[in-house]
Amino acid sequence: MIDVLGFLITLTTYIGIYLVLSLTLTLEVSSGITNFGKVAFYGLGAYTGALIGTYLPLAITGSRASPFDVNGIQLLYTISKSNPVLDLSVFLLSLAAGFAVSALFGLLLTYPIHRVGSALVGFTLLSTGEVLRLFYLNTEPLGESKGFMGIPNPFAWLPQARGAEALYLIIVWCFVGLTYFIVSRIMNSPLGRILKGMRDDELVALYAGWPTPLIKSKVLALTSGLTGVAGVLWAYYFTSINPNMFTPSLTFNIWAMVILGGIDSIVGGVLGTVLLASVDYAARFVIPFIGTTLVTPDYLRWIIVGLVMLVVLLKKPEGLAPRRGGVSKL
Amino acid sequence: MITQDLISFFLFSLLYLTVTIPLVLAYRVTKVINFTVANYITYGAYTAVLLDYYMRSSFGHNSLLLTVLSSFAVTGLIAVLSNLAVFKPLAEMRVKGDVLMIASMGLWIVLKYVLYIVSDIASSAWRTNLVSYSQIHYDDISLLTVRAGLVGVQQSLVVFPLLALASMLILYLVLNATRVGRAVLAVADNSVLASLSGIAVGRVVSLTWFLTAGLTSLAGVMWTTYSGAITPEVGDSLILQVFTIAFIGGLSSLTRTAAGALLISGVENFGTDLLSTYLGLPTSIKPMLTFTVLLATLIVSPPLGVAGGVPYRFTRGARR
Amino acid sequence: MGVKLIVEKVTKRFGGVVALNRVSINVPSSLVVGLIGPNGSGKTTLFNVVTGYYTPDEGRVLIEGSGRVVDITGWNPNRISRLGVARTFQIPRLIPSLTVLENMLLFYDYGSCASITCSLRRKWVDVEEAAVARAMSILREFGLESIAHKRPAELSAGHLKLVETLRGLMSDAKLFMLDEPFAGVESWMARKLTDTIRKINREKGSTFVVIEHRITELLEGVDYVYVLHNGSLLAEGKPDEAVSDERVIKAYLGK
Ligand SMILES: Nc1ncnc2c1ncn2[C@@H]1O[C@H](COP(=O)(O)OP(=O)(O)OP(=O)(O)O)[C@@H](O)[C@H]1O
Ligand SMILES: [Mg+2]
Repeated sequence: MIDVLGFLITLTTYIGIYLVLSLTLTLEVSSGITNFGKVAFYGLGAYTGALIGTYLPLAITGSRASPFDVNGIQLLYTISKSNPVLDLSVFLLSLAAGFAVSALFGLLLTYPIHRVGSALVGFTLLSTGEVLRLFYLNTEPLGESKGFMGIPNPFAWLPQARGAEALYLIIVWCFVGLTYFIVSRIMNSPLGRILKGMRDDELVALYAGWPTPLIKSKVLALTSGLTGVAGVLWAYYFTSINPNMFTPSLTFNIWAMVILGGIDSIVGGVLGTVLLASVDYAARFVIPFIGTTLVTPDYLRWIIVGLVMLVVLLKKPEGLAPRRGGVSKL
Repeated sequence: MITQDLISFFLFSLLYLTVTIPLVLAYRVTKVINFTVANYITYGAYTAVLLDYYMRSSFGHNSLLLTVLSSFAVTGLIAVLSNLAVFKPLAEMRVKGDVLMIASMGLWIVLKYVLYIVSDIASSAWRTNLVSYSQIHYDDISLLTVRAGLVGVQQSLVVFPLLALASMLILYLVLNATRVGRAVLAVADNSVLASLSGIAVGRVVSLTWFLTAGLTSLAGVMWTTYSGAITPEVGDSLILQVFTIAFIGGLSSLTRTAAGALLISGVENFGTDLLSTYLGLPTSIKPMLTFTVLLATLIVSPPLGVAGGVPYRFTRGARR
Repeated sequence: MGVKLIVEKVTKRFGGVVALNRVSINVPSSLVVGLIGPNGSGKTTLFNVVTGYYTPDEGRVLIEGSGRVVDITGWNPNRISRLGVARTFQIPRLIPSLTVLENMLLFYDYGSCASITCSLRRKWVDVEEAAVARAMSILREFGLESIAHKRPAELSAGHLKLVETLRGLMSDAKLFMLDEPFAGVESWMARKLTDTIRKINREKGSTFVVIEHRITELLEGVDYVYVLHNGSLLAEGKPDEAVSDERVIKAYLGK
């Protein structure tokens, strides 16, 4: 018997987290920030969340267990089951910390990149993601290649598992709503027009009197913070994370979603995300049933992601749902 | 320890030069920030791997010359095709450089996983493990070393300088001694002027793709004589260093690029060693050192004006 | 009111090339001044130095307005333009994905309404209304309402130059620096541009520096002319004086 409701809840949670990533990427792209390092900020948020979520409850309860061995993981589970207040406050603290850490990191990173062209920005952010991943992979207090495994579910204390899942889904989607609100308000405002001008011709925006490096820093700080929160949400949803989840492929996946829907169109980004994330998730769900095949289905999936990017760019550069009209709504 | 460092400094400098010099030239002609250079390296290495397996099982020996020619042809062809299928149509649509770069990302993913599939299929057809292939020995090189009285010298010590030198020589000869090469240089300097003076820019661009990609693949071949386990990740694992070096060269100056190659190779080999001996840092900080150099380059001497960005020195300090 | 532009012994080198060699000019307020010189004489470079695109190697750039002298040497372009300096480019640069109206709005000073918080709280509506009204009235005044919603790709060279000039009005520019506004523009459009410049100069008292490299097409009604040659100031004076100057004729004909 397939659990349809469970499948739907998981799918919508998954889509929700991807939506935060693609919405923020849409804002970045429309400001001329070619962020090939989404995964850097996402991973940073996830690891910040995991760090707080595991070390803090153990420290508060005075346990000396390591969050990486069976005892520690068991203990974390028991704490989250029995102490709703601690469990929830650790989660909320993680969300705040995830935002702060990623936003600060984004802000610091804009210093080296605010003078150079988008190619160099893109590459630098891409490398940032990889360097961070290698850092997680080689740092003992971060669990090295195994990563964190006992991140407590913030609603573990609820008697019904289904209720916990549904509550979590609501939280994720509230955050998607907030992100959508922020991104669309900014893009449909005079600031959105300045961002667009900056993307098309940074020099003209500068001559129009706008301090473009400063504006870029602010935008990247904001979007990175939101991306960091998405990372926290992912960590607490999956309850375990490892460096392998944060490879550059994730970034390209999000780029493919945004390109498919239409670069700089919010609706397009949402559409592309829902489409690709559903296919992606369905594939993950179905692939294990296929068994071993000559051609690994996962590779095919990636080839399709790459082809989607290329075909859309070549044949329908405005995407499935292009942006209509100008910025001014007057 | 220090000799070991010196040897790898030497080898990696040559490896980086072989990749970055063609990369910078290609950028100047095609204006594409091309991430598929990672694929060129990998495809070069894997043409060598497939050929090595085939040659060994059919004839019992393998030749570097044959390998180089095949890798060059395969990779060059892939580059020409990707230009025809992706970059040329996009350039005709007059898209911004960003879009070309994003397209190269898409192409990178496609080419990368196509290679995974090919090596999987070949592995199962030949019942061997091609996804992690052992170091390759080339019989013509062995012959050469024995002739020269260098018995017992690792092949990499011969092959790296040989191929790097060959690559530079080919580049130098083609660019300076042939008409089409001078046309390439003219387009690199100013494609509008070049087309006004009657140069067929389209053909020159195609040739550049073929030549630069082919030369990049030599780095893949070099790698097969060095690494103990050749995997389809070779190219990807070099991309940070390669682009850092290209950015040090400002994507335009060949001398600065060459200096960048030596710098990165030095930082990676001596820097990591020093830090681990004197500060006890793990050798896994190697990529972080390279990354630090990248950030420092962007802060101290940003390649302004290339590929967008503010084309002058944007000074925050100069506010009197 | 216009402002006075003072360039003091400015030198700018590019490697071995001396693009500007101790150039000093002194543009009085509310005047229309021509800057002429053969190709490569350093006219655009002078604009780039004044507007902050380049920092001069030597010398100073000063702006004097309402009794205040500001040394703008080494300032960034955005600060200089907020001071009331507007420029155009030799090849017009409008934002391709924005309409003419939106291109004009980009140059309006939204102040704090361009911040992220203001955008989130949608506090910009009144300011935007004022900005749109201002842009439309400028376009109307110069008979351009019909192109307000067109994109730059649909416009003629003359219209592009015109819009590029007019967007300076959005930010209340007091000094306009126009780089070859008549190059590649049909003659009726060139006349319209001249009228526009005159009109702005008369009504707002703005100062104009206008580059023109063909000496014969020198804009009629220019009050004063500077002649650049190989990076140095060759001559200056009333248009007819400057044009009949021996050295100027030699520079143009003889090289
Ligand atoms: N960024 C630069 N790098 C190197 N040389 C430059 C640069 N900008 C200008 N030059 C050189 O400085 C000199 C002056 O150029 P500039 O563009 O100011 O001339 P111009 O008077 O505007 O000419 P034109 O009438 O052709 O527009 C020329 O020799 C030019 O080659
Ligand atoms: Mg000029």
